[in-house]
Amino acid sequence: MDLVRDLEALEVGARQSIASASDERALEELRVRYLGKKGEISTVLRGMGQLAAEERPRVGEVANRVRDEVESQLVRARQRIDDALLERELRGSRIDVTLPGRRLLPRGHRHPLTRATEEIVAIFAKLGYEVASGPEIELDWYNFEALNIPKDHPARDMQDTFYVDPATLGSGGGEGAVLLRTHTSPIQIRAMKRAGSPPVRVVAPGRVYRSDYDQTHSPMFHQVEGICVGPGITFADLKGTLAAFARAFFGPDTATRFRPSYFPFVEPGAEADVSCSICGGSGSRAGARCGTCKGTGWLEVLGAGMVHPKVLENVGFDPKAVTGFAFGMGVERMAMLKHGIGDLRLFYENDLRFLEQF
Amino acid sequence: MRISLSWLAAYVPLPPADEVARRLTAVGLEVEAVERIGASLDGVVAARIVSAERHPEAEKLSICQVDGGAGPVQVVCGATNWKVGDVVPLATPGTRMPAGHRIGHAKLRGVDSHGMLCSARELGLSEEASGLLLLPGDALPGTPVARVLGIEDVVLEVNVTPNRPDALSHLGVAREVAAATGAAVAYPDSGLKQKAPPASAALRVSIEAPDRCFRYAARVIEGVRIGPSPSWLAQRLEACGVRSISSVVDATNFVLLERGQPLHAFDLDKVAGAEIVVRAARPGEKMTTLDGVERTLSPDDLVIADRDRACALAGVMGGGDSEISAGTTRVLLESAWFEPTSVRRTARRHGLHTEASHRFERGVDPEGVLAALDRCAAMIADLSGGTVSRGAVDANPHRRRPVDVVLPWSRPGEILGMPISRKEARASLLALGFELVGTGPRSGKFRVPSWRLDVSREEDLIEEIIRLRGYDAIPQTLPPIASDTPAPSRDAQVTERARQALEGAGFSEAVNFSFVAPADLAPLSPSGGRTGVALQNPISADLSVMRSSIVPSLFKGLAYNRRQRVEDVRIYELASIYEPRAAGSEGDAPAHEELRLAGVAGGRRHPVGWSTGGEPLDFHDVKGALEALLEALGIDGVRWVHGGSPWLHPRSAATIESRDERGAFRVLGVAGEVHPRVAAAFDLPRGVFAFDLSFEELLRAAKLVHGHADVPRFPAVLRDLAVVVLDEVGSGAVLDVVRGEPLVEEVSLFDVYRGAPIAEGKKNLAMAIRYRAVDRTLTDAEADAAHGRIVERLRGELAAELRG
Repeated sequence: MDLVRDLEALEVGARQSIASASDERALEELRVRYLGKKGEISTVLRGMGQLAAEERPRVGEVANRVRDEVESQLVRARQRIDDALLERELRGSRIDVTLPGRRLLPRGHRHPLTRATEEIVAIFAKLGYEVASGPEIELDWYNFEALNIPKDHPARDMQDTFYVDPATLGSGGGEGAVLLRTHTSPIQIRAMKRAGSPPVRVVAPGRVYRSDYDQTHSPMFHQVEGICVGPGITFADLKGTLAAFARAFFGPDTATRFRPSYFPFVEPGAEADVSCSICGGSGSRAGARCGTCKGTGWLEVLGAGMVHPKVLENVGFDPKAVTGFAFGMGVERMAMLKHGIGDLRLFYENDLRFLEQF
Repeated sequence: MRISLSWLAAYVPLPPADEVARRLTAVGLEVEAVERIGASLDGVVAARIVSAERHPEAEKLSICQVDGGAGPVQVVCGATNWKVGDVVPLATPGTRMPAGHRIGHAKLRGVDSHGMLCSARELGLSEEASGLLLLPGDALPGTPVARVLGIEDVVLEVNVTPNRPDALSHLGVAREVAAATGAAVAYPDSGLKQKAPPASAALRVSIEAPDRCFRYAARVIEGVRIGPSPSWLAQRLEACGVRSISSVVDATNFVLLERGQPLHAFDLDKVAGAEIVVRAARPGEKMTTLDGVERTLSPDDLVIADRDRACALAGVMGGGDSEISAGTTRVLLESAWFEPTSVRRTARRHGLHTEASHRFERGVDPEGVLAALDRCAAMIADLSGGTVSRGAVDANPHRRRPVDVVLPWSRPGEILGMPISRKEARASLLALGFELVGTGPRSGKFRVPSWRLDVSREEDLIEEIIRLRGYDAIPQTLPPIASDTPAPSRDAQVTERARQALEGAGFSEAVNFSFVAPADLAPLSPSGGRTGVALQNPISADLSVMRSSIVPSLFKGLAYNRRQRVEDVRIYELASIYEPRAAGSEGDAPAHEELRLAGVAGGRRHPVGWSTGGEPLDFHDVKGALEALLEALGIDGVRWVHGGSPWLHPRSAATIESRDERGAFRVLGVAGEVHPRVAAAFDLPRGVFAFDLSFEELLRAAKLVHGHADVPRFPAVLRDLAVVVLDEVGSGAVLDVVRGEPLVEEVSLFDVYRGAPIAEGKKNLAMAIRYRAVDRTLTDAEADAAHGRIVERLRGELAAELRG
């Protein structure tokens, strides 16, 4: 029974060869050598034709067993080699996880004044205010007269005004002076006129201009104006609204305080202070006087009041039937307080080393 | 307004200084600062020299034993103008001297000295340095020197708003303190003594402009001797920031600060014809004011004239010719009421702002004119000798009618949102000097005090009531919220998406002034172009025209950052530009304002890193950013047309257009490389790119909500295509042809190649095309046919040659 012996010898040889194979290629060669069409098993089987018919099933049985055995040897060997490869990879040299991440295009940054404006507007949006806007090159009537600031009134001294050269206005130079709006308050007037009738509840951010340029004044700055007019609106509503705003903007523990003040378009008029966001209202910080609130514990941040009846009359509202309040704030100041920014000029220098912090 | 508390205390009982400040602020007179006068002398006390001996080592020094109130102290002293028993200032150890140094324990030529005896100059009181300041002999040792000298005071810096001219005086502030504390004001008596002859014999007054001068009253003081003021008067004026000049001028300033009534003293002998005429200035009339400036007047100016010429700008400033001088003996004292607008216009026209004009512009108490005149005349007679002639010459053409305001009792509660009782309303108003002149069950009628020119309607009364009560008393409520809280507007949503897209593309936001120098705009329109909207009164030429483009500001921003060694810059700004209004445009805005979105970029494509190169960014980086922007806004149907604006490089610039709903193309803006000449003008390097878009066009074209296409259910067939075309054929035209084949689902251009073996002047474009049918599995044969159609069209329309 030479064939059976040959097959068994082949099996022993294959087992030894496979066990000593160390990589994929060697395995593949062994597979071809033993199991291929011209491989050793096939060669042995080709000799079966010479066997007696009764011996063939037995030899065939042995041949099949040997082939199965060789195949499973190969599978196990492959597993062994894969495991070894993986093991080697897993133990391989580590990448440098401290190497900086790959950022092909760092995000741009939004200007802190825009951020502050958006935050202020969002708070009032939740209180039911719509956003309004108006022209920056404005008629005297909207900026002053309609707001109860007549010509030659000393209140005009409160705001140093830029006037526009009428010769450069083309067809826009009609009657009345044209100026750069000194506050966002003319948007009150435009919003009420546009609405035509109460209620009106709008908030109006925008650029404003005053002829004043030094360490603490910029000839262009930003304000947010708000107005709420309707039947039965009271000073208490004004206080509640601004207190809610201050808590939302500066934090839940922020206190507000109201003092009489004067803006010609409101009566009674008020200035609203909030507890200092830097020292928490104590007036001192780390044992020293708080520089932000100058030790008072309070920050002046808002002008406000009940809309003056003359203003309501100027837009065709009946002051006997409706009342309202208005308020305004400087965006620069709010942003400075929020982020502890000390120098106003940083806002307009557009130094990326500043802008990229927001 | 500076308010001296020692002066204020003469009219009303005062709580401690901080409490006065708090109360005044609470009623609306904001105290901005509290200044202690004499605080610079803290630590300096009166000391009696008990004994003295010569310093053994130094002939010029004395060793003094002094009593500074706390037992004997040894001090070494170099002065010689004193004798034992004198009382002098002792700066005790620890005192910081006005000059800045601190006094300590010292040894002078081997002898201990525990402090310093001071001259007036060392204390910052005068220039007198010749010896020790000798204090009154009865001064108690240990008393602070500031108190001994009577200069101890507290001055409040009160911010008086323009509606409250009545508070621009010590009596006015005293009224507020009294109302707030419940005390009463003690009005000073003028103590006026008059003698014959009557003033009317020495002076005539006529008002030719009664619409501008409601009242002009004058008194005559004869036999005056001009001299310096007593120290108490000079100190009071100086505490309020007014320089002491002479007894007569100081008296007018004293009464101004006491009552808020500006007064003017003339040398009567220099008033030609002994005649005062209040009249409009004659055209071209000249006058030299007290500040030495010769002024040309116009009929809009109201003047106080004598028979011959203008002697004063009414309510603003006196004239040099009739000024009080050392030789003046006869004084004409004026107290008048000038119409505020008239004074304001004159003051502004002549660029003057004086204590007088400040008050007249805001309105002085029309009923206080005579009282102030009498008070001042008596003071002049008292301080400078002389006698006050009998009677005032009082031209009073404009009789004032009192102002009455009706207050419905329910109204304060309606406005304030808290109950205000009738009793409280009445008590508060009476405390503030209002009179109740009529009362009924529903309302009361109040007469406004003559000094409160700001009160004319019920809302004004309500403010009076609540400011006295304190705003703290008002509760906090919220107005009822409308049920439909507005959603963010479409504009706001578009804006937010645009900002996010640009931030994603690495652009940071800049904010620039809206006004620029004309020279900043010039390089953008080399042909000259329109002149922009200009300011009449700019701060400087650099900030004198309203910008008609945002781009120059951004160029400057980029240049600024480069100077700071920040070289990779991408910034944008979203802001209005300003142009003259086109004829016939809508609305009543006086100028055309349009929101623009502009940006500039320069430097490297990627930040330098261990895995990124330092290659510079180029046109297509900016284009990619803008594509991301347009995609974020849902704007499709965009085309990029070669050629931008004159300020862009003619080779690498494009106009960006999008199709509107009628299918017509509208310009969104331009983008490209900055023209080399423009770059040079702004000190920019080459290779800076910019875009300038109309934000209003973006708002118009934006589509925030769009439909959707079904996810494909049948497989696609992929084919690559490479064609060679002439360089000037835009790849967009090639892609348009490919997209024109209905079975093409998507095409992406993955390579653009110039150079061998491609012929010069040509380029190879390689594309991956995905074919798909929505309703069936596409066969290879169908895809091949579509591919063939594309090739044929490219050959025919763009002379393309097929490669590999």
